[in-house]
Amino acid sequence: MSTELYAAVHAAEFPAQALLRLRGDLAGQAVAVLEGRAPLERVCAMNRAARTAGAALGMTRLEAEAVGGVLLLARSSEAEAGARAALLECAAAFSPRIEDASGGTECMCVLDIGGTERLFGSPETVAGRLRGALLAAGFRVSIAVSGNFDAARLKSAAARGVAVIAVGEEAQALARLPVGSLGLTEEVAETFALWGIRTLGELAALPEVELVARLGQAARVWRGLALGTASHAFQPMEAEFALKEFCDFETPVEEMESLLFVGGRMVDCLAGRAAGRALSLASVSLHFELAGGRVHRRVIRPALPTVDRKFLLKLMQLDLAAHPPQAAVKALTMTAVAGYANKVQLGLFAPQMPEPSRVDVTIARLKAIAGEERVGSPVLEDSHRPVAFRMEGFQVVPAREEAGGEGIRMALRRLRPAAAVRVVLRGETPAIFHDGLRSYAVTEAFGPWRSSGHWWALGNWDAEEWDVLAEMQDGARVACLLVLDRGDGIWRLEALYD
Amino acid sequence: MTNASALRREIEHALEHRFPAALTPAQKTIHETYATGIAAVDALLEGGLPVGAISEVTGPECSGRTSLALSLVAGRTHGGQVCAWVDAEDALDPESAAACGVSLRQLLWVRCRRVAGTGKVTAKARMGHVDQALRATDLLLAAGGFAAIVLDLGGTAVEDARRIPLATWFRFRQAADRARSCVVVLGRASYAQSSAAAVLKCAPLRAQTAGGTVLRGFEYSVARERQRFVPGAAGGRKPPASTWNAPWSATGAWVRGERG
Repeated sequence: MSTELYAAVHAAEFPAQALLRLRGDLAGQAVAVLEGRAPLERVCAMNRAARTAGAALGMTRLEAEAVGGVLLLARSSEAEAGARAALLECAAAFSPRIEDASGGTECMCVLDIGGTERLFGSPETVAGRLRGALLAAGFRVSIAVSGNFDAARLKSAAARGVAVIAVGEEAQALARLPVGSLGLTEEVAETFALWGIRTLGELAALPEVELVARLGQAARVWRGLALGTASHAFQPMEAEFALKEFCDFETPVEEMESLLFVGGRMVDCLAGRAAGRALSLASVSLHFELAGGRVHRRVIRPALPTVDRKFLLKLMQLDLAAHPPQAAVKALTMTAVAGYANKVQLGLFAPQMPEPSRVDVTIARLKAIAGEERVGSPVLEDSHRPVAFRMEGFQVVPAREEAGGEGIRMALRRLRPAAAVRVVLRGETPAIFHDGLRSYAVTEAFGPWRSSGHWWALGNWDAEEWDVLAEMQDGARVACLLVLDRGDGIWRLEALYD
Repeated sequence: MTNASALRREIEHALEHRFPAALTPAQKTIHETYATGIAAVDALLEGGLPVGAISEVTGPECSGRTSLALSLVAGRTHGGQVCAWVDAEDALDPESAAACGVSLRQLLWVRCRRVAGTGKVTAKARMGHVDQALRATDLLLAAGGFAAIVLDLGGTAVEDARRIPLATWFRFRQAADRARSCVVVLGRASYAQSSAAAVLKCAPLRAQTAGGTVLRGFEYSVARERQRFVPGAAGGRKPPASTWNAPWSATGAWVRGERG
């Protein structure tokens, strides 16, 4: 008994399938795909609705337009490459050994599923599950399973749904297929037509020696294919794992909802493919091709790698709301970087912490309210310059308990921007200052404390600080930080002690 | 069994179909608190500020409100938790925060900004930054997980902050309870009214100097104006008003080796 078992997956009208896979809004719409340069465009693929409406392969654009209700789209090699990668990725979940047997406008791959019975069950079960997985990924495929590579390949191209060829019944299963399915040259096909040979069954019935005597050694291969006995050296491909999806819009899209609708489907596909390899999405890059030839790029980086579609879509929505494309979008390419899924050891006595994924969405919303650079954690810079800090992204990182500070410290409340004040000096000490609204009588002044730096650069500073206790006219007392900029001679009320 | 106990049991049995345990005091609920790290204030509050509730720290400028709030946040961040500072006036000084002991990595700082307007300043434009702060606080409470959220309205005019609807404070109270966050509102006056579980009123006392040439620190006083969850008060009596305030002091970051 042969231990070889192959499952051939055939996706017909692949240019049309690749374009429609991510376009849920075109479900049920008759669509034909044109290839070639205008005005010599011809229909190369279509969906079932278009075929029913009367469209046919090889029609020119004018002929196709004459068929009412058929939407005409341009063939996209990028969309096909993305779809092919997605299909192979999906098939790789069933067998790592896959040979690509695509040709023309069809996409075909043959899986070596020998020995997978204990994993997935009978050949019928494997084929059914494989077809279900591909349907979920947006592909309409036919699958044939056979112990012979070519028998499976030929049968899948002709069958609908799932076909399983039992061992020894290959010739019978292929008998009704046309000889054209062997990919013959025009001359040979004409010869067979003259002989009255139309099906593989009729070809298989011819005597081998006489056939070879008339048509050469190639005839032996054709007869072997027709009988389902041809041998084939399986050449498994090394599928490149690239998380990339592409969608080309037939008309430029302006509405955010439409973009997110398509984007959601693309995120779904990327997340599904990453999850299939026990990976998550560490970052998702969006590349928008805009009308007018411009490009808009955004990168979504969740705090932790994730495959949560709703979460990624929310981040995308918030990011695009804050940074919308400046023109209508012609095409969208989505690429993702895979990362390992987050593993967190929870503990009963661990301190209460925000959930990282929720914090991501919250921070995106906070940035939409307050501004991009105004939300995060402050980081002090290694400088003597007053108020030297920068904002960095806030991340929830489990921290260990640390020892407390040295004691209770006075805090400053900064005035941003600092208020320019008029100062009356007594000697060299501030005596009265006025901020434009109120007058402050200085009761005690401590200083000056001078600091300067970066004299060699543009961002230099030279300041004189005074800690001042003052009293307002209504009797209220304040303690504040007055700073004299020695560069321009302006006094500023920088902060209040609180 | 004494006559009083027997009588109480008899009455309770008679009424139990209508009022279960009619004469038995209600069970004491222990409310978790976060210590502020200032011994005098913690003693005044009998533990610290309540968790899952709104606390208001009020007072004029230079009354120690910010130092008190930073001290609370420093305690939480050193305990490994994360906190948020919603800064309506963009007044937080990160250097001061670090000097107070706040682990800045574990602090989410939301810097609201005044809405720039041209011509006549409308009430809506004047309230823009307060509105941002309220929306940010709402989001942080909904996200959960922050041990303390400080809503800094310390520089906001009282008449502006009083425009905040009471329904907002009520919502914050409910959200704080769900999120188990300690919401601290800094302001010139008390705004949350009945939604606040604790209200502290701060006032400056005097400045401390070193040799008359260096400002060394300040002495403040803090008074407890309201405390809904007094740990020892359930079923007992309200403590006397004379124990409702306490002095405390803070020193400058340049003073070494001092403890508050």
